[in-house]
Amino acid sequence: MKNKLIMFWVIVAIVIASLITIYKKPTKLGLDLVGGSRILLEARTTDTVRTITPEVMSRLQVAIESRVNKLGVSETSVAQVGDKRLLVEIPNVTDLKEAEAYLGKTAQLEFKKPVFDANHQPKRDDKGTLMWEPTGLTGQDLKSASIGTDQTGQWTVSLEFNANGANKFAELTQQLVGQQMAIYFDNEEISAPVIREAIFGGRAEISGGSSGFQYEEAQKMVNLLNAGALPVPSEIIQENTVGPTLGSDSIEKSKFAAIIGIGFVMIFMIYAYRLPGAIADIALVVYGLILFALFKAIPVTLTLAGIAGFILSVGMAVDANILIFERTKEELKAGRNLFTAINTGFDRAFTSIFDSNMTTILTCVILYFLGTSVVKGFALTLAIGVLVSMFTAITVTKNFMHLIFGTGELKYPALFGLSKSEIGKGYEVTETKREKARFGILD
Amino acid sequence: MFNFKKNGVHVVKYRVLWMCISALLLIPGIIAMIYSMITYPTHSPVKVGIDYTGGTILQYGVQDAVSSDDLAKTREDLDNIGVTNTYLQVLNVNPTAENNNIKSIISIRTKFIDEGSDLSNQISTTIKKEYKNAELVQVSSVGPTLGNELFKMSLVALLLAIVGMVIYISFRFKLEYAIAAILGLVHDVLFVMGVFSILGIFCNVQIDGLFLTAILTLIGFSINDTIVTFDRIRENLRYYGKKMTYGEIVDASVNQTLTRSVNTSLTAFITLAALYFFGGVTTKDFVLAMMIGVVVGTYSSIFFCSMLVDFWEEKKGQPKHMAVEG
Repeated sequence: MKNKLIMFWVIVAIVIASLITIYKKPTKLGLDLVGGSRILLEARTTDTVRTITPEVMSRLQVAIESRVNKLGVSETSVAQVGDKRLLVEIPNVTDLKEAEAYLGKTAQLEFKKPVFDANHQPKRDDKGTLMWEPTGLTGQDLKSASIGTDQTGQWTVSLEFNANGANKFAELTQQLVGQQMAIYFDNEEISAPVIREAIFGGRAEISGGSSGFQYEEAQKMVNLLNAGALPVPSEIIQENTVGPTLGSDSIEKSKFAAIIGIGFVMIFMIYAYRLPGAIADIALVVYGLILFALFKAIPVTLTLAGIAGFILSVGMAVDANILIFERTKEELKAGRNLFTAINTGFDRAFTSIFDSNMTTILTCVILYFLGTSVVKGFALTLAIGVLVSMFTAITVTKNFMHLIFGTGELKYPALFGLSKSEIGKGYEVTETKREKARFGILD
Repeated sequence: MFNFKKNGVHVVKYRVLWMCISALLLIPGIIAMIYSMITYPTHSPVKVGIDYTGGTILQYGVQDAVSSDDLAKTREDLDNIGVTNTYLQVLNVNPTAENNNIKSIISIRTKFIDEGSDLSNQISTTIKKEYKNAELVQVSSVGPTLGNELFKMSLVALLLAIVGMVIYISFRFKLEYAIAAILGLVHDVLFVMGVFSILGIFCNVQIDGLFLTAILTLIGFSINDTIVTFDRIRENLRYYGKKMTYGEIVDASVNQTLTRSVNTSLTAFITLAALYFFGGVTTKDFVLAMMIGVVVGTYSSIFFCSMLVDFWEEKKGQPKHMAVEG
């Protein structure tokens, strides 16, 4: 009994922690549910890109998309409008400054090489600073930049060039082994790394020298590089806050409908499984609280796709309890005594719950790492939901069942929705010491 | 309470019947999908909406704040003049003298509409009737938010996820079970797509970005259902494998899990039905797809998948006797 009580208080503590998290942390909702910023970007021509072709636009769209959707689950939307504009919608962001930060500065990125004198030494100007000249390698050739660490755990900046850029970069690094190369952002030098060896394959790493990068430093550089990785610069020409794509009218109705739906499910559970059904309902509330707290704490941006994953996981949590209780009823009908029936219910149902949940989690992992934003949101909430449901639908329900039926006083078949004639004689059988021990009644 | 056990279902005995029902369920949809792929300019098996094709954004500036009720009414009015499946959103603007004191912009994203066409005039009339001083401030064409690339990427992810399922189920059960489960998924997905293809042809129902989510949910639900039934077959094989034939075990297992299958589906169905009847208009098709999915998913795991497993196991058993004759 002691262990059961400890577990009970652990559950209570988890519920309280969840309630505090829910109270303190804001909910992040997606564009479809809450709206956000709608930004109109216009592509600008440059010296190298004189006309905005559909090809340039689609590259710009991909680049902007990857930037606004860093986490992959916020369900931002980027669409082409007209010939040279992009309509970007970002959830939750309602302030222009923040939106600009999201989109990063859009500017020219250039890679430069030193100007060499006749002796093949880098030339310096009057003040003694190195002189640089263009190499033809620009932000257009850069696919993306990301933050990473080297073997010693120092922060580094990783660069990935596209096919064209990889060739140019290989050629350039071959010429410049042992020399410096400068990265210019809007005609301002942001880094001048020394090239240690020729780099083929289009992937390079910049380390922060002997002192190493601070995280903020590396992150800032990654942001600048990514901003420059746009094929052409783009400018924000219009910015508005916008209501949810699903329409605020629809969402209010759906909230109401969801509450009705869950209410019906709870009533159904009590109707079908009586007291255990009521226990399952409590477990379901615990489940909802933990999950909601987790979504806020991680944080997960909830979109309709995410909510679909959540609904499916609720279904699976309810299913786990239905499986257990059906099995318990079956065992009771087969003439087992109450304790054995309850325990067998949990034991036998476990393999099917485990296998179906594992299949789901495996699927979610694959979908999360390979899928697009809609799919990712769905996979993430479903996986978290299934993991939590394993805890609530099995551990919490079992704990409550043991605490309530463990006293051995509640022995009415009606509590399980069974009539006296349906159950075997076993129900009347007094439990053996061993059974009681297994049930945790004896210390 | 949903006790079928007194009569029981006979998965094995009426195998041909279940096969025929599955075929009857699938064939109309498949015909509709083939027809759609030939006739639609997009060559898609279902009618796709503006998420996939792009469309037009019409923006109307109004001088008042727009409430949810106003939006609901506008949506209904637009439906009545044949402008369906729209994304209706409100943009908040700072009213200034420069922009004629516009406070809100009603943004209508819908199918391609030419500026000045009859339909665009009808929309303007509708909006102006409802909001005084409304004016059309911007019309622009907008590309797809779910382009071909994104859609293909999602499909690849889904295929790999299915490979993952096959490996896991083969490992925990048997390869035959895995294949039966996947065929069950194909069965369910084809059915739901078929229904939407038919709805697309006859009721102009278009699928949006959410349809993919509905399909994912259906897959999750269906595989869960199937595994529970398989788990019972596995358990019964362990205890009764020597006493009963394979067919008897499959039948018994299906009947033992039947109440659970029906009850679980019922709880999912209740929630979805509430969302369908009381929920918002914009998610109706999404919910409908899931509702159909739940029903067909339950059918397939009870009748279709278990029947396949039994069919293969019996076939495997037979050749030993047949080989001598042959």
